Amino acid sequence: MARPVLTRPAAPAAGPGGPRPAPSRRLSARTRRLVRPWALLAPALLAIGVLLMYPLARVVWLSFQDYGLDNVVSGQPDYNGLDNYVELLTDPYLWTVALPNTAVFAVFAVGGTVVLGTLIALLLRSLSPLWRTVVTGCIMVAWAMPAVTSTYVWIWIFDVDRGLVFQALHALGLIGPEGFNWFTERLTFYAIVTLNIVHHGFPFVAVTVLAGLLTIPRELHEAALLDGANAWQRFWRVTVPTIRPVFAVVTILSTIWDFKVFAQVYLMPGGAGSNAEVLNFGVWSYVRSFSQQSYGLGSAIAVLLTLMLLAITIVYLRALFRDEELR
Amino acid sequence: MTATTDRAPSGRRTAVAFGKGAAVAAVLLFTLFPAYFMLSSALSRRSGSGTDALFPADPTLDHFVGVFTRGGFLTYLGNSLFVALLTVVGSSLLALFAAVAVARFRFRLRTTVLVMVLVIQMVPLEALVISLFLLARDLNMLNSLWGLALVYVALSLPFAIWMLRGFVAAVPAEVEEAAYIDGASWGRMFWSVLFPLVAPGLVATSIFSFITAWNEFILALTFMNDGEKYTVAVGLRQFFGQNTTDWGAVMAASTIITLPVMAFFLFVQRGLVSGLVSGAVKG
Repeated sequence: MARPVLTRPAAPAAGPGGPRPAPSRRLSARTRRLVRPWALLAPALLAIGVLLMYPLARVVWLSFQDYGLDNVVSGQPDYNGLDNYVELLTDPYLWTVALPNTAVFAVFAVGGTVVLGTLIALLLRSLSPLWRTVVTGCIMVAWAMPAVTSTYVWIWIFDVDRGLVFQALHALGLIGPEGFNWFTERLTFYAIVTLNIVHHGFPFVAVTVLAGLLTIPRELHEAALLDGANAWQRFWRVTVPTIRPVFAVVTILSTIWDFKVFAQVYLMPGGAGSNAEVLNFGVWSYVRSFSQQSYGLGSAIAVLLTLMLLAITIVYLRALFRDEELR
Repeated sequence: MTATTDRAPSGRRTAVAFGKGAAVAAVLLFTLFPAYFMLSSALSRRSGSGTDALFPADPTLDHFVGVFTRGGFLTYLGNSLFVALLTVVGSSLLALFAAVAVARFRFRLRTTVLVMVLVIQMVPLEALVISLFLLARDLNMLNSLWGLALVYVALSLPFAIWMLRGFVAAVPAEVEEAAYIDGASWGRMFWSVLFPLVAPGLVATSIFSFITAWNEFILALTFMNDGEKYTVAVGLRQFFGQNTTDWGAVMAASTIITLPVMAFFLFVQRGLVSGLVSGAVKG
């Protein structure tokens, strides 16, 4: 309380301007301004730190251990260095099954989602406002279907004995009465997963790209039209460059989502581990950890998946995000 | 659908309109079919085969009644609702504070925090589930709905912060300054000025948090071993028989699970479309 008395006479002498607020009040306001954002952030950062960052660090730590059921009970670690990684990376299963089931699938799923979403966004732009609202509302229905229920619906549609697809193909004489099991073959299994993912994922792309399309000034298209550009050229030369950030965001997010697909594979027949041909990284890690009680190896698989996602995230962030967008 | 009123409809125009109509029909068919098939299977008396379920000749609510009376589906619904509401309250509050911090203050490490929030979203749950399981086991939080909700708060936070940040940033700084000029303290400004203006965004993020908690599968599957504590996403598996599946019951239960999510989605979409900030600038 003594400080204002001491400093107050000094302030007018130092400052060239007119009268100023008391320095002590200014100082405390400044401190408050410095502390306030961190006080506001603290609860969220604490939750993220304890429940997301710490488990992530622990899974990395676990991946250097041989952590089985007895370790869970005793709580004693059994370090084995890089053994888990050596075992995984020399396992042909990773290269011929799990990686293609994750990465090749993601390429097709992201490609399908972004292309279909963009086409539908272009269609929506050309509709009258009333129809645009109606179609957008209907698209939301696909987005709103929870992953668990939509997976069950697709399984039911492709049911081996009684499913709609079987009955349609049988009626057309394309397959015999014994039917065809779509879920045992890796390719058809993932065709169904892709259908499920694209169906669920395209509405987000369509709605976001439409929002981007509507921000493009009409003059740009008119100028291109005057220059004699056709629809195809206008799309690639005007639309795509203008809303490139929008495409960047939908592609990043779709890629990240499609790499970590879980329920849509796990709930499919054979997807929970009984059919080793159809596991992707996420399900493989889960099955290794919780069905085979090999938590260390499961953690190593999870770490590899996380590293792949981190690499994708960094590449995209660096290539496509401008610094200004984060400011 | 196209504006052909003031010009003579040439053949090309009709073709374009026809093509557009066909495209719209195809989009609607593709997007609505699974939802329709889910509902029609749930309503059909004999859902033994796909074609019978496609156009239920004799619709019935038997499957819905069966779902509610048989098994613990009502318990699962209650559990899911409880967890989802806790998640919404927790994550909205924390996300609002954090969003104000990153949208309204310039401080060191601000960009780092933003990038971290963005990057943390790419971490797969499959990587977290192992250590979260061990953590919950050590803390005796397995089979605890509170524990599950706590994890869901953390899970929904990054997206909620990222989304709310936009809503907070969209409130013009002049509105805040006006409150200060009127003599409001920062806290007063926050609750009486900023909060009401961000409320529509808060509704939208709450709904997304609700949906995250309601739909989440892998953690609920791992944490909840006690049938009494299943959430709907996990409880749905109870309707699968050993050899044959009663698809009518599965689809009825799926419909019940899907309805709140769908209602919320349509609600959010409206809120997002109807210009959230326009009211604030006018006032």
